[in-house]
Amino acid sequence: MVGGATTKELIVNGKRLDGRALDELRPIKIEASVLNKADGSAYVEWGKNKVIAGVFGPRECFPRRDVNPYRATLRCRYRMSPFATSDHGRSGPNRRSTELSKVIREAFEGVVLREQFPKTAIDVTVEVLQADGGTRCASLVAVSTALADAGIPMKDLVSAVAVGKINGKLALDLTGVEDNFGDSDIPVAITGRNKEIVLFQMDGVLLPEQISQALKMASAANEHIHALQVDALKLVYESKQAQGGARTGAASEED
Amino acid sequence: MAGKLVVPGEIIAEGSKGGVNAYSEDGKIRSEVIGIVDEQKGRVIPLNGQYIPTAGDWVIGVVQDVKYAGCGVEIKSAYRAFILNKMTRIEFKMGDVVGATIERVDEARNIDLAEPRRLVGGEILVISAVKVPRVIGRANSMINMLITETGSEILVGRNGRIWIKGGKSALAVRAILTIEREAHTQGLTDRITELLKTG
Amino acid sequence: MTINILDEIKRDYVRDLAMHGGRTDGRAMDAFRPISVEPGVITSAEGSARVKLGKSQVIAGIKLGVGSPFPDRPKEGVLSTNAEFLPLASPSFESGPPSELSIELARVVDRGIRSANAVDIASLLIDEDTEGKSKVWAVYIDLYVLDHDGNLQDAAGLAAMSAILNVQMPKYEDGKLTLEEKTGPLPSQATAVSCTFGKIGNAILVDPSYEEEVSLDARITMATIPGHICACQKTGMGSFKLEEIDSCMQIALKKGDELRALLKQ
Repeated sequence: MVGGATTKELIVNGKRLDGRALDELRPIKIEASVLNKADGSAYVEWGKNKVIAGVFGPRECFPRRDVNPYRATLRCRYRMSPFATSDHGRSGPNRRSTELSKVIREAFEGVVLREQFPKTAIDVTVEVLQADGGTRCASLVAVSTALADAGIPMKDLVSAVAVGKINGKLALDLTGVEDNFGDSDIPVAITGRNKEIVLFQMDGVLLPEQISQALKMASAANEHIHALQVDALKLVYESKQAQGGARTGAASEED
Repeated sequence: MAGKLVVPGEIIAEGSKGGVNAYSEDGKIRSEVIGIVDEQKGRVIPLNGQYIPTAGDWVIGVVQDVKYAGCGVEIKSAYRAFILNKMTRIEFKMGDVVGATIERVDEARNIDLAEPRRLVGGEILVISAVKVPRVIGRANSMINMLITETGSEILVGRNGRIWIKGGKSALAVRAILTIEREAHTQGLTDRITELLKTG
Repeated sequence: MTINILDEIKRDYVRDLAMHGGRTDGRAMDAFRPISVEPGVITSAEGSARVKLGKSQVIAGIKLGVGSPFPDRPKEGVLSTNAEFLPLASPSFESGPPSELSIELARVVDRGIRSANAVDIASLLIDEDTEGKSKVWAVYIDLYVLDHDGNLQDAAGLAAMSAILNVQMPKYEDGKLTLEEKTGPLPSQATAVSCTFGKIGNAILVDPSYEEEVSLDARITMATIPGHICACQKTGMGSFKLEEIDSCMQIALKKGDELRALLKQ
């Protein structure tokens, strides 16, 4: 939120309240293939954020009015649980979640190779279980990983992070408190291979040079996040490979 | 399958011509899916994903609606297939399990089935469609071994549905699920042989 | 999400033209369509304006009320921005609950106004009460889209800002609101306006018309106050390069000054 009369000391001796440097990410943990029924899924823990994404499809598209004869229809639902923040939230979509669902979907519409599956639907749901600033970026990272896990053809993985301005300085990956008392928030999603910006929002008052700087910070941090996504996806099959041999060995002993 | 494990966007080679599940951009070939690189054919073998209906595939479906001209068949895909009544003498009913060959897939992804037969009794095992080639094996080696060792009647649909009837069907199920789980690992045939002998 | 086949056919023509630096209406790539701003068109509202941007048409109406502040912002007025895409504006608009597009449009207009303090909510406290019975002004901005010929975002942003500058505050005294008596303008710290860009291939064009809008790869809206950016939103399936965003910001600042000049008249 911007324009608040309230201010708060968010940087002390060059460090942020949680001890991070200005260009430091919170700890991020990504796990792929965490759900049984979904065609693809991923779980992301990002600082205190906890989000889970599930993908179904490509599958038959209902209702008929959603059908696109040329490409798959991508549908995305971002939702925050009523217990995700300190106040009890109302369940069901609201204006914020509607907008976020749209911008997350649009970040993937040009990346997923939808023309390979005309007339079908790819349904993506992302649930924010616990929120502490930057949930749309954590959600985007989860969705990207879940789409790849589902085996859906796509040009690239997408990673995302927000840069904000706190106490007059640009800072990477704002927490909830930093976002509340900060002056600006700029979530950015970028493709892994060619650094194309597929999601970009901004509030607050900034000079153009500051926005350029923020985009560069986000781009650098996204390389790290992209690597975490790749690791999470590969781990699913590498661990299956390792388990495979061991499990058969054990089975033959039992028998 | 000793190829490299890749994710979407990852470079698999230099060049200007993409293969199956791979695209070319600015002189580099990149993967479209999570999968294993098959360098010889310049393609990526996916490790997950929906069944994509292809002409010539033999599939197992379920009759979902019966119309005057024929019946619609669900084939575990985003696209529904159709059996024209004039193609067969069998009168299919809702819920019938059908084995058939995909005769044609047109541009609008309308799918026509040919040589349909009703599959009666037995059980249907569902696995990921991308793992079906491993269940069949090179030159049918794996499936022939399964049939011989279990004495079951086994029909493998390309769409990931497998019909099993009679014999040591529980053992067949166990072996097939093991193949699905370990499809991308090495030494699979040996382990399945062992499993079938000891089971 | 009905696919309009004619739109799809026109698309190739519009895209080909844009990639050769041309536009269907002969405009320069960085030119807005003709703009008319008429403040005060709705006398029943405390502030209003009609904006015509080419053939797109939006009316903004602002009503003021007295209410309670949000618990987490006890000293600030309440600002609420809402958009209605009227069914008469386009065959693709339907009545019923607000669409994704209208919600996004309203939220992006709101973001620019809020960031810039174009409605200075910090000075809208009427009575401070320590027991939680504070009274503040509530400002309701409603954006009515009457005709859709592309770039509703900038038309709505301009209408909202013009209406804000047009507001005459009603009188509030001894717990009584008298709408007929006016006390002066709505406190505002800056004039925020937006500039929307469309991208087709490598071409970037300002103020996309409807037929350009359906042909775009991606779109970006940048709201500005003099010298600064105060809100951005990328929409559509395509992507932008960092350098493209840099150049858009420079154009947005320049166009912003031109648009602000229109609001001064």
